[in-house]
Amino acid sequence: MRKNYHFMALTLICVFLGVIIGVQYNTVKKQNSLTENQRLTELTATLKKVQEENKALQAHLEEKEKIIKDYESGLNYGATIGNLQNEVQQLRLFSGLTEVEGAGIVVTMNDSSTKKGGDSNAYLVHAEDILSVLNELNVAGAEAVSINGQRIVGISSVSCAGSIVMVNGERVAAPFEILAVGDGDIMQSALRFPGGVVDNLAPWGIEITIRKEARVVVPPYTQSVLWKAPVSDQEVVG
Amino acid sequence: MIAPIFGLLCGVFIGVASGAVIPYGYSGYVAMAILACLDSVLGGIYAILQKQFDLKVFASGFFCNGILAVGLVWLGNQLNMNLSIAAVVVFGSRIFNNFSQIRRFLLNKTEKKIIVFTEKEE
Repeated sequence: MRKNYHFMALTLICVFLGVIIGVQYNTVKKQNSLTENQRLTELTATLKKVQEENKALQAHLEEKEKIIKDYESGLNYGATIGNLQNEVQQLRLFSGLTEVEGAGIVVTMNDSSTKKGGDSNAYLVHAEDILSVLNELNVAGAEAVSINGQRIVGISSVSCAGSIVMVNGERVAAPFEILAVGDGDIMQSALRFPGGVVDNLAPWGIEITIRKEARVVVPPYTQSVLWKAPVSDQEVVG
Repeated sequence: MIAPIFGLLCGVFIGVASGAVIPYGYSGYVAMAILACLDSVLGGIYAILQKQFDLKVFASGFFCNGILAVGLVWLGNQLNMNLSIAAVVVFGSRIFNNFSQIRRFLLNKTEKKIIVFTEKEE
């Protein structure tokens, strides 16, 4: 009788043990089929980031949809005009037709004052040198760049014309003063990194100074532009 | 002797069939608890065979060992130290010990029976 009682207790405990083993078996099976456990935290972080990004984009989309709705309804005249004006302002900014003001750097390039002999041409600042500086500035995220008062836009040109340099078809001579609005630290390091533009010009004694300034004013593009009529999507398709 | 084994199988079946899942992060603790409980069950069987079974000792050992093992693993996690190894080694060796004792006991018993049987025949 007493032995039966013992066996009953043992049986109960065994049932309990069996249940945990079964549940644990389920868990392990499910985890293995789902994903690698080690990467779980990593995946969680990624998911969180993507979700936040999604949220931001959703807000952006809503904003844009609201603007489109305003346009389409045509009811809210004031808002529509305001939107259009904003857009025009932004487009002018993009195309370089407005003055841009902000933190940035001033790069001055001057011909070498010490002639060490050899080809005297090598000691002058060339259009290519200016172009490489310009390129580095754009790579470093410059928002607006001008060379001696000539704003650099999409149709700008920098070319060699004998002893002078042509920028936007205007004659420009040394010393060249390049203004750039943007992150001064990044642009400065983009120009100064070892083997970069400044290093390449150093052997020729070309004087380059880079100055970070809290306020740089880049003038607008002033050359007249004859814009062709834009080709709309329909015409291209047709 | 059949009832506990049958109970164990029933329990496993219920556990699997229920489809219940332990949240990720706790399955390590549960595995340790299973090991501790397995040790207790084998210890209990041995005690019954030895006729030294005490329900209080058995039940308290079953639950306390489980809790202690889980607590050790938890502490190890807090201290960034794999204390589960300690629990695994101890419980693992105890399981083997208990099992070998049970085996010996059963073997001795059958041997005695055979002796008794042969004595009677004579």
